Formats: sequence, C-alpha cells, structure tokens
Amino acid sequence: MFITSTNNTNTKATTWKVVLPFYLYAAVSFLAAAILLFLSCNKFLIHYFQPNILAITHIMALGWGTMIILGASHQLVPVIVEGKLYSNKLAYASFILAAIGIPLLVHAFYVFNFGWIAQLGGSLIILAIVCYLINLGKSISQSNSQNIHAIFVFTASLWLLIATFLGLALVFNFSTFFMQQNSVYYLPLHAHIGIVGWFLLLIIGVGARLIPMFLISKYVNEKLLKVIYYLINFSLISFIIFFYIPVLWKYFLVSYIALLAGIILFIIYCRKSYTKRIRKAVDEQMKISLLSAAIMLIPLLLLAVIIFLFTYSTQTNNIILAYGFLIFFGWITAIILGMTFKTLPFIVWNKVYHIQSASGKTPNPKDLFNNKLFTAMSICYIVGIVFFVVGILSAIIILLQIGAALLIATAFLYNYNVIKILLHKPVKL
Amino acid sequence: MNVITNNNLKCTTALALLHNVYDPEIGLNVVDLGLIYQIDFDEDNTTIICSMTLTTQFCPMGESITDNVKNMLQSGFTGYTINVNLTFNPPWNYEMISEEGKIFLGR
Repeated sequence: MFITSTNNTNTKATTWKVVLPFYLYAAVSFLAAAILLFLSCNKFLIHYFQPNILAITHIMALGWGTMIILGASHQLVPVIVEGKLYSNKLAYASFILAAIGIPLLVHAFYVFNFGWIAQLGGSLIILAIVCYLINLGKSISQSNSQNIHAIFVFTASLWLLIATFLGLALVFNFSTFFMQQNSVYYLPLHAHIGIVGWFLLLIIGVGARLIPMFLISKYVNEKLLKVIYYLINFSLISFIIFFYIPVLWKYFLVSYIALLAGIILFIIYCRKSYTKRIRKAVDEQMKISLLSAAIMLIPLLLLAVIIFLFTYSTQTNNIILAYGFLIFFGWITAIILGMTFKTLPFIVWNKVYHIQSASGKTPNPKDLFNNKLFTAMSICYIVGIVFFVVGILSAIIILLQIGAALLIATAFLYNYNVIKILLHKPVKL
Repeated sequence: MNVITNNNLKCTTALALLHNVYDPEIGLNVVDLGLIYQIDFDEDNTTIICSMTLTTQFCPMGESITDNVKNMLQSGFTGYTINVNLTFNPPWNYEMISEEGKIFLGR
C-alpha cells in the first residue's frame, strides 16, 4: 500500500507569470549587448577598463546572465529545494527592482558617470537580490528536504549579494574615495566573487540536479558534490584573503588549483551522469549545455596564462579581455542558449495546454520553437566566439567585427525563437 | 512495475487509456514510465482512485500530467468520479520504467 497525498497543491510549480518576464528581459539584454559589442570593437584593441566594455560586461552579467538565472531559478526552486516557492510577490519585486536598476547602472557606465544614477541603479539591484535571497531562504526553510543543491544555490546567492555590495562600494569609491585603493584595483575581486561565487556555484548546483534528471541517469554522488562545493568556496575565500594580504600573492596558485580541481570534478560528474543515462537520445539543447561544462576549462587556462604573465610583469591586456569575453559570451552564454530551449518551451506549454489535457493531441514542447533556427543560432554562436577571441588575441579589428556580427545574428535568432515560444497560441493536432 | 488493483479487468482498460498520457519532456507514457502505482474501483460510490507519482516531486509538468490522467480516465469511465492521488512513497526511480519503456528510451 502506498501513502497518498490527497492534496495535490503541495506539488504545484511556480506560476509562469513570475518567470516569463525574466526570460524576455534577458533575451533583449543579450541583443543589446551583442549590438554594443559590434559598435565597440575598436575598444577591444586598447584596454579592458573602458566605459563601453564596462557597460557590455554589466549587461551580460546582470541583464543577461543574472536575469535569466533568476527567472529560471524561480521556476526551478521547487525542483531544487523540493518545496514551494515562498512568495510570488517577492519574485515580482525582484524583477521590477532589477529591471529598473540594471539599465540605470549600465547607462552610467556607458557615459562614465558614477554619480547618483549609478548609485541608484546599483542600490535597486541590491534590493532585487535581497528580495530573491529572502524568497529562496524562506522556500528552503519551509521545505522538508535540505539537499546539497539547495545549499549550492543559497550560497551562490549570498556571494551574488557580496559581489553587488562590493560593486556598489566601488561605484561610490569613484566619487568619494573612501577605500584604501582606487576602484580599478578591486575589480578582480568584484569580478571573481561574481563569476566564481555566483555563476559557477549556481550553475554547478543547478546543473548537478538537472543534468541527471533530463538524462534520466542512474548516477548519484552527493559526496562528490560536497567536495566540489568545499573546493570552490575554499578557492574563493582563499583568493579574497590573498588579495587583501599582498605578501601572500604567490599563494594565489592554491586558489587556482582548488578551483581547477572543483571544475574538473564537476566535469567528471557530468560525464558519469551522461554515461550512466537511461535515455540514450540526447537532444541538441542538452548537448550544448554539456559542452558548456567543458568550455569552463578554456577561461581557466587563460587565467593560468594571466597568473604566469603577471609573475613576469608582461603585457596581459588582451589575455584578460579574452578571459572575460570567454566567461560571459562563452561559458555563461552557452549554458543559457542551451537551457533556455530546455526550460522555456515547457513553461509555456504548461501555460497553454494545461487546460487542454487529454482533450486532444497537443504539440510537444519542443515543437514550440524552430529547431532549424536553433541549429543556425548555434553555428553563428560558435563561429562568432572563435572569430572574436582570435580577433582579441591577434588585435585584428575585422575579425572582431565579423565575430560581433555573428553574435548579433545569434542574438536575433535567439530572440526570434524566444518570442515565438512566448507568443505561442494553442494548436490541436 | 505491476499496478495494484482490486479489479483486474477494469484496470486493464484504465491502463490502456493511460497509455495515451505522456510525460511531455521524456515522451514516454505514464504507464511505461512507472508513474501509476495503484488503481482501485469503488463500485458502491462509482469512484476510481488512482495513486500515482511523478519523476520528481515538484516537477513543473506535474499538474498537467495528473490532470491529463484524470481526464483520460474520465473519458473512458463516464459516470465515475475520478480521484487522482499523488504519492512520493516510494519515490519514483528508473527501475520502475517498464521493459518497453527502457527499449523506447534506447536501452
């Protein structure tokens, strides 16, 4: 005999109304970033600390990466923490605050004015993250299950809050100089807390839950995930300590090795999930997401080169630019391009066809977007990334322009398919 | 996985109907996926009680799948009240997939 629940509302997923605005906002941000990238190609021949590059980086980090992750995570929180999302109102508040704050901040970077507009934009973004953190924390505390995936997601969100607080402090420091050093000095700290603490921890935590789930894999290894969790957090905390104590600079290698070990273990985890899968056919969206796990190693390799060149005081500008570009347009974007079409069609399918259940045949969620355009998008994306990175490293402007043009095409195709899904009307087969 | 029932004949009809209810992500029907645990027929109250699970407790497609199960049973058993109860005890695992399901998934 089975123990049954008579109340099915306990398993209700987050409403689409909360989630879809995040997806749309992120899609438009990606297009804006790609266009700005094309218009700023010549800046990639000079130095990474440029108004245009700061603006592009923050559109990619906040408008694109963070917004889509926040949207997807509001949808996936119930799956990850095995409990209901605590509050839809907090989710709306999080969206509205971030949606207003991000363009204000990006505009301030673009015109290189760190006055009240930048400060207001940054403050609104922090409030958005606080709303998200409260929502996530309450959802976890209400859930009966405290699993490693939830710990990953919550810790990542705390690092995001720290990264944005530091970012806002740097904005204020531009005009009031209250910190020991100038703001540019702290950029590596701000960037790595965001990249490793927020993006990497979150992507690993969510990926470790979703990849075996989508593949229907027999592989479970919570111990390995705990090791990865400690390695990455150790890497980041040790990096912060070494950053503040310059005499310990040479020990940065320890942070680097811990990070490398964490990422390699995650790649092993993905590989084992893949080899032990029940579902043999793997769709394009999953392939691109799995590929992005391996792509993590490329910026890590560039980071090793940067550390090596710094040691010998050699010119590192183009390597740093390639490193940053590969993180935001490479690794993070690859995951999003794949996972959008793995999650969004299901959210919309559920919204459109839920009531039509069993009343007739309905299209598959995969039919809600144009798969040929998805393939074209993937090709434009991969070729565009290669052209742009080679352009940065070789300082040849035409390669940068071709790469950026292909990324605009990628963003257009992505937006087309996202809007096609969002506007889907019921069809009976 | 064998489905528990108090009426083998009607259960066969119910399962044939439920072969048309699919998990939209996996593309496999709920019977071969092993989501249906028990179907009981209460003739006195003309009620069907279907106990089933989901591949994961907060599956975003969960509500759609359970509604689909309910509607499909209703379409084959007019006059009956259909109660679909969700249970996660025992939780679903891949061993519950039928041989046909495993073949469909590529084993």
